[in-house]
Amino acid sequence: MRFVDEFRDAELGRALAEEIHATVEPERHYKIMEVCGGHTHAIYKYGVDDLLPSNVEFVHGPGCPVCVIPMGRVDDGIALAHEPGVIFTCFGDMLRVPGSTETLLDAKAQGADVRIVYSPLDALRIAKENPDREIVFFAIGFETTAPSTALTLRRAKAEGARNFSVICSHVTIVPPLRALLESPEVRLDGFIGPGHVATVIGARPFQFIPEQYGKPLAISGFEPLDVLQSVLMVLRQLVEARAEVENQYARVVPWEGNPRALEIMDEVFTLRDRFEWRGLGFISESALRLSDDYAEWDAEERFAVPDVRVADPKACQCGEVLRGVIKPWECKVFGTACTPERPIGTCMVSSEGACAAYYNYGRFAREREVL
Amino acid sequence: MTDCVAAHGCITCGDQAIPMRVAIVDSERGLALCSDAEGRRSSVETALVEPVQPGELLLVHAGTALARAPGPQPAESAAVGETAP
Ligand code: SF4
Repeated sequence: MRFVDEFRDAELGRALAEEIHATVEPERHYKIMEVCGGHTHAIYKYGVDDLLPSNVEFVHGPGCPVCVIPMGRVDDGIALAHEPGVIFTCFGDMLRVPGSTETLLDAKAQGADVRIVYSPLDALRIAKENPDREIVFFAIGFETTAPSTALTLRRAKAEGARNFSVICSHVTIVPPLRALLESPEVRLDGFIGPGHVATVIGARPFQFIPEQYGKPLAISGFEPLDVLQSVLMVLRQLVEARAEVENQYARVVPWEGNPRALEIMDEVFTLRDRFEWRGLGFISESALRLSDDYAEWDAEERFAVPDVRVADPKACQCGEVLRGVIKPWECKVFGTACTPERPIGTCMVSSEGACAAYYNYGRFAREREVL
Repeated sequence: MTDCVAAHGCITCGDQAIPMRVAIVDSERGLALCSDAEGRRSSVETALVEPVQPGELLLVHAGTALARAPGPQPAESAAVGETAP
């Protein structure tokens, strides 16, 4: 596809990398957080980090939806999957996320009816095809994914689908970023902002980062050239002592977001008072539950959900990885006890997770596609 | 798109959206049958980008079109090239 090819052009990539080398001040060290797991994945897949000067460092952010799910929440999903008569539906990555005693894949092996779907709409279709079963959809993801769940719930309500419900674990991106900026152990110079979250919520909600914390941010697309150009935008701001929200992905991201998506999310969801994030602890108003109008489709209302807080396994250092405090390979079990085939922590499960990205592209397979 | 463990990343779980071309529009139900670059077809919610026409390229995430995907516009490639020496 030409549209995509242009953003993977190796010549342009090298030219951008040269521009970056010419921009940085050699005595400074720059720590730039790419918030989104999709960017982490692109950086290692295309070797974007190899093109940067050694004093520009990527710090991986908390924007991988699977990685931030706490173990107790996984247990809640597994408990529902074991309910008699339930067909439990979820995105593929959730299957291998370890709960405290098993994964959804283990539950499936023991006879639970767990099915992978690619959209909440698929889950609703399964509900229509199986009127005598209860279909539960495990909704995870940031504001990119929440509109899909909201539209499906509106559809379920309009069509009177009573055998469909959602265990809502959608999270919002701004509160964890604020928590990171407030954390004394995290020192960051700038941010690569999440392009598709911003397609939904707009670039405006990120303004607090320059305004209140004096850090630059560039909302970025997902092709390697997008990421390189965003890095350059952030570095230029730092060198020129500016701090603002710049929109590298303006070809898709409107300043105000998608008003229809915001409206439907507002109708279907309300903010939870607080939600537990893996590695970041409880953060107030950082996740969504179904609004009272949609209580009938809320799996947490319909079933008894254990809702027990479970501490992460001792060996797991995902929290430190998610806060950017350690690099994935610094975790004691990285690549030994914890691999994508047998993950201990969530960051090794999803290919958007920092540990899986390092493992897949950094350590074992260094074939890069283009750049 | 079909393999979350694949090197392409998980489209649904990650903050990713893929370009899909509209084939057939069912405006009454707010759906469109779309196909991805490999020709795989699926139903897509179009409520956030309506109205859509056959042939349009949409950015799709978890079965919902979030935005129109811009086509290969010379101005955009120039914008990327702008920073190059
Ligand atoms: S290597 Fe495994 S346990 Fe360690 S931080 Fe990464 S995912 Fe977590």
